[in-house]
Order: sequence, then C-alpha cells, then structure tokens
Amino acid sequence: MTLTAPGSVLWLLAHETRLYWRNFRAGRAGRSARGLISLAVIGALLITGGVFIALGLHGRQAPINPLSVSLAALFTAVVFTLMLSQTLSASSEALYERGDLDLLFSSPIGPAKVLFVRALGVAGGVVTLFLLAAIPLLLPTVIWGHPGWIGVFGVLGALALSSTAVGLLLAMGLFALIGPRRTRTVAQVMAALVGAAFFLISQARTILGEQTSRSLFADITRQAQEGRLRPPPIASLPLRAMLGEPLPLLALLAGAMVLFALSAAVLGRRFSDAAAATQGKTDAQPQKGGLVSARAFAAGAFLATLRKELLLIGRDSALLSQVLLRVLYLIPTALVLSRNAANGTAAALAGGAGVVAFLAGQVAGSLAWITLSAEEAPDLLAVSPAGIATVRRAKLTAALIPVGLFLALPIAVLAWFAPVAAAWTTLGAFLAAWSSGLINVWHQRPGKRSEFKRRGGASWMATLAEMVVSALLAGATGVAVAGFAPWALIPLFLAGAALLSLRRSDAQIARNLRTR
Amino acid sequence: MTEALIVRGLDKTFTKPAVMDLDLTVHAGELYALLGPNGAGKTTTLRMVAGLTKPDKGEISIFGVDARADPAAAKALTAWAPDEAMIYDKLTPLEYLEFVAGLWNVEPKAAKARAEGLLAKLGLASEARRRCEGFSRGMKQKVALAGALIHDPKLLILDEPLTGLDAAAARLVKDMLQDRVRAGGAVILTTHILEVAERMADRIGIIAGGRLLAEGTLDALRAQAGEGKGDSTLEDVFLQLTATPEEAAA
Repeated sequence: MTLTAPGSVLWLLAHETRLYWRNFRAGRAGRSARGLISLAVIGALLITGGVFIALGLHGRQAPINPLSVSLAALFTAVVFTLMLSQTLSASSEALYERGDLDLLFSSPIGPAKVLFVRALGVAGGVVTLFLLAAIPLLLPTVIWGHPGWIGVFGVLGALALSSTAVGLLLAMGLFALIGPRRTRTVAQVMAALVGAAFFLISQARTILGEQTSRSLFADITRQAQEGRLRPPPIASLPLRAMLGEPLPLLALLAGAMVLFALSAAVLGRRFSDAAAATQGKTDAQPQKGGLVSARAFAAGAFLATLRKELLLIGRDSALLSQVLLRVLYLIPTALVLSRNAANGTAAALAGGAGVVAFLAGQVAGSLAWITLSAEEAPDLLAVSPAGIATVRRAKLTAALIPVGLFLALPIAVLAWFAPVAAAWTTLGAFLAAWSSGLINVWHQRPGKRSEFKRRGGASWMATLAEMVVSALLAGATGVAVAGFAPWALIPLFLAGAALLSLRRSDAQIARNLRTR
Repeated sequence: MTEALIVRGLDKTFTKPAVMDLDLTVHAGELYALLGPNGAGKTTTLRMVAGLTKPDKGEISIFGVDARADPAAAKALTAWAPDEAMIYDKLTPLEYLEFVAGLWNVEPKAAKARAEGLLAKLGLASEARRRCEGFSRGMKQKVALAGALIHDPKLLILDEPLTGLDAAAARLVKDMLQDRVRAGGAVILTTHILEVAERMADRIGIIAGGRLLAEGTLDALRAQAGEGKGDSTLEDVFLQLTATPEEAAA
C-alpha cells in the first residue's frame, strides 16, 4: 500500500485540500480579478515592508539576552493565544458542521484518521494565515543576511500544531463537561476571551485603575535595563528556534507534533461520538410553556422582522463571539475615557471618544453585514407583500440596537462627568454605526446565513469603506471632544463624500438581490 | 365561476427558453396540478406566478389583481411553498409563524390563534417552542406549510408539497388542501407523484419543453392523448403526451 492509497491520511488530506481550494476559488476573493488584485497589492506592500526590515537588519545580529528572550517568549505567547482563539472556534465548529462528516464516519476509515486530517486542516488554515503575513515580511531578511531566521516559520508551524491540539482538547473537554447544547456558544465566547487575553492583560493596569497606562513591552524593557529580568533557561527556546538553532527548533517542532498526534489519537473515537451527538442539537434549552405563549405576536412587517433578526443575532454564537471580542477591546478604552473624564482632562478624552466611535462603526458593520446580507429564506421575503424598504429598515435597526446597548453604560458614565464629551461621543458613535449599516445596505451580498461564518464573503471594498468612514467619523468625534468642533467638519465632510460615492439606488441594490 | 389565476402568453428564457407562450386558468374552489417531466418549466411557471421570477412577457392575474402591475396586492392573496422549506433553523415554529404573519400584516391576536391552531393540526404542538434546526425534513415542510397558511391565502402555490412527508403527514396535508379548496380557495401544485394528481386534482395541466401540451380533467386528458379507454391511468396519459418522437416511435 502506498502513502497515497485510497483511505490513507495523505489521500484524505489531498481530498480536503482539493475541497478547500475549490471553495476558495468559488469565493469572490479567489474568483474575481479585483479580489486577486487586492491580494497582490497587499502582498506588494508587505514585501516592501519586508525589504525595509531586511535593509535595517542587514549586518546586525540578534542578541540572546534576557530582554530579547523575554520579548520572543512574549511574542510566542501572543501568537499562540491568537492561534488558539481560532483553533478553538474551528474545533468546536468541526463538531457541528455536517459537511461530509457523516460520509466519512460511515466509511471504514477510522475516526482517529478523520480527526487527524480535520485537525491538520485546522492547523494548516491557521498557519497559512500567519505565514501569509510573515513570509513577505521576513523572507527578504532571511535571504539577505539572516538565513537562520527561517526558523520563525518553523516556530509558527509548531505553534499552529500545538494550538490546534489544545483547541481540540478544550473543545472536547467543553463537550464532555457541558454537553452538545452549550459547547458551541461557550467555545465561541472562550475563543473571543482567549483572543483578547493578551490585550486585556497588557491593559491590566488601566483596568485596575492606575493613573498611567504602561504597556507590557515598556515594563519588560524597564526591568531588563534595571537588571531585574531573569527568565528561566527554557524561555530562550522560542528565540533560539526563531534564529534557526537546529536543536531548539527541532525540539519545538517535535514537541508540537507529539502533542498534536496524541490529541488526535486520543480524541478520535470521542470526536466521532461527539459529532454524532451534536446532530439535531440546538444551542438552547427548548422554551417552556408548550404551544400556548403569553407573549403577543409582533404587529406588522417592521416589528416582526426586527424581532426575528434580534432573535437570530442572539442565537448566532459565532457572531456573538465576534462582537464580544470587539467589546472586550472596548473595555480598557471605556475605562480610560471615564477616568480622564473624572479627572477633567478634556484633551485626553479625545482619543478614547474616537476609539468608541470607531468600534461602534465596526460592531455595527459586523452585525449589519449579517442582518442585511444573510437571509435563510430570501424567497419568503420576496413572495410577501411587505415592502423591501420596510424589511431593510427593520434589519438595519436590528443591527444598531445591540451597538446602542453595549455603548449605553460607558456613555452614561461619561455623561455623568463630562456631558458635552458624552454628547459628541454619542453622536459620533451613532453616525459611525449608521454609516456602516448604510454601506451594508448598499453593498449587500445575499446568501444563506449558514454561509456567513466569516466576513471573508463581504465585499473587500465595503469592508475597507466601513473602516475608512468609521475612522473619519472617529477622528471627527475626537476633534470635537478635544474642543475643536469646527475642525471636526473636515473629517465629517470627507466621510460624507465617501458615503455619497458608495451610495447605491434601490434599483442598483435590487439588481444584486435574488429577485432580479 | 370566479377565476383565481389567469395566465396568458407567459414567456421566460434563461439561457434557453424555459416557458413559452403559456396560458392557463385556475378557478376558485379548484385544485390544479401542473405535471411535466424534469426541466419542463413547472417550477419556473409557479415562481413567475408567485412573483419570484420576472416573466419576459405575458400577463398574470390573481383574483382579478394584475400581478405584474401591482405585485404587493397580488402577493397579499397568495402563498408559495417550495419543496425546500423556507424556514429559519434558529427560530421555533411559533417564532417563525409570528414573522410570516408580520410580513403579511395579519392582526397579531388572530395570527397567534391561527398559528397555534395550525401547529396543533399539523401535529407540531409539542415542538412549537423548539428550534427548527433539529427537525426532520418532513417536520420542516410542515412548519413551512403552516407559514403558507397563516395569512389564509386565497391562492396556494405549491411546488412538490409532499416531498419528505411520511404517509400520515402526506394524508394530513392532502386533507388540508382539499379543505381549502372546498372553502373556496384555489390551489395550484406540481408533483411527480401522479397518483396524487389523479386523486386530488380537479384539473391537470401537462407541460413539457416550456409549453402546455394538454389541460383538463383526467377524462379530457385521456381523450386528448387518444387513450379512449376509461381504465388508462394518468401515468399512461402522461407518458403518451410527453413522449419524445423517438419514444413514441419505439
């Protein structure tokens, strides 16, 4: 039997790779010339950055001292948590997504082999994402004077394998602890927390209420300068591996491979049982009360659609995870904002207010993208007598309500100390959220909700436009809060111009929809 | 007799002609079955009647409302239920029916009572507050059918309504459709189960290659097919009428 014989790991891996590639090609990024051009532009920018890095580092050797060891260990930990956030989410989804899982489990191929290949797919996806950024940035340096630094790519591979193993263990652990009904939601929430962990830790001083916000990097540097930093010998392993020392690199890779293989082998049988147990399971307990419900039905298309969209948002664990991640990033900002407001440092409020407005735009964009573009039953809407404008308005409102809810508390606190700043922040956040919503109205990409796991399906131009408009409105908010309201008109005008250029008529939108 | 649906000169071409110069009429209090081989144009015809696909030309009138000139008024009178249930996995049947009733602007109190009645009738009362994601295909079809009936439509447009239903559920659905017809409503449906059309339909239309080949009661179809004997089945008539020249020669 050869390595690629039907039923072997490599054969199965080739099958998975082919499916992944065809899905990518079927997607807009892989199909449209514009998508490919944008990828090429980003690639060119990264390579240019990589060339500058290579120029700056040429002829210099990276020292192995407590500071560099600690920073490399910190970098490794950050990358690991970011990867873990993704692998945990992907591992839990792998349990629920049927795809061809039933076919594979009904075949004579062992479940451990199926899980091994699935897990390799998860690890491959994660490492590809990091390598896409790392290769153009680092390859010029590797080629020009630092061949050993190729070890960074090996470290990334080892981190992807180990984070996949840990992600699988966590997902299966959750499954055993809390069952199929809650695992999906809890895993997604946990993924968001893990993803934001280092940011929150680095902002611990801010959150705990110290006056000055110092970064973890600054702390480490200061401790190293004062000679207080004494990392244990094992902490030097990632740095040495990144610099291309064979033994540390091999040790990291071997450790990760063993962990990965062990987790796939141990969890294989459980994985097939767990995947079978998820079939037909929902995230929530069935509501009590049988057929008779005390609650009245919503009246009219607007309220009925609004209620339906809010229910769907609340039941979309992956979407909640995305929103939670952004809210977690908002917490330190909101705390700094409130503290500066309490201390009366109006100028210091500006940055925080801008960040709040920007995040409001981003969260609204994520939600509006789902509520407006993802529709499980587009034909139902099309055959109903409800006006498309009414349905669209309800969907946009549904996207804006959660943004208002999570901004209510920080803005209320801000209003207590600095009412004018709070008014500007509210206005800026509302405009940013509304603008993101409008962009999603104009640039809908209709599809099934189940296909909207990631924002990857969104128009790259719409995503970019949302960021630019949110940033401009955030700038306007910051400038207004700092006390230079007339100057806020400039970014406001630019944001308005951007919105006008993005605007689409109802007829143009309709052409994009299924009823065309 | 009131005409529930009048279709005149309906044309639709995608990459090749799907429906050509189609005329048909469905009366109020009538169940009309549109039969045809795969790719005959049945679903395209129904989608045009439901307002989902824009005809290239032709007229569609639903209970006297010009569906092309005033689609919202026409849609208010109709319901469309395709073979793939148009439901939301993350909603419960009751939440789904609330949403559909809202789309058709049904008065909330009446909608709630009707929703509870429909779910009870379709044997879904115990599942009313469970999300649809764990439902079988047949259960999803029943939820979708309840959605189609929540606003008490005058014209029901059904594409393969019995797909995925077990025998008991299929009988229940057939009875519900007959009830609606007896109450003065109209039903137009497609089906591949010819026995269903033979037993349920008041009139049958046979379509192939986008054209209506024959229309009428089973006896009228027998006559058109040249199958004069009273014992020939709809299957015999259907195969006779839709046979290609090669098949006919053989």
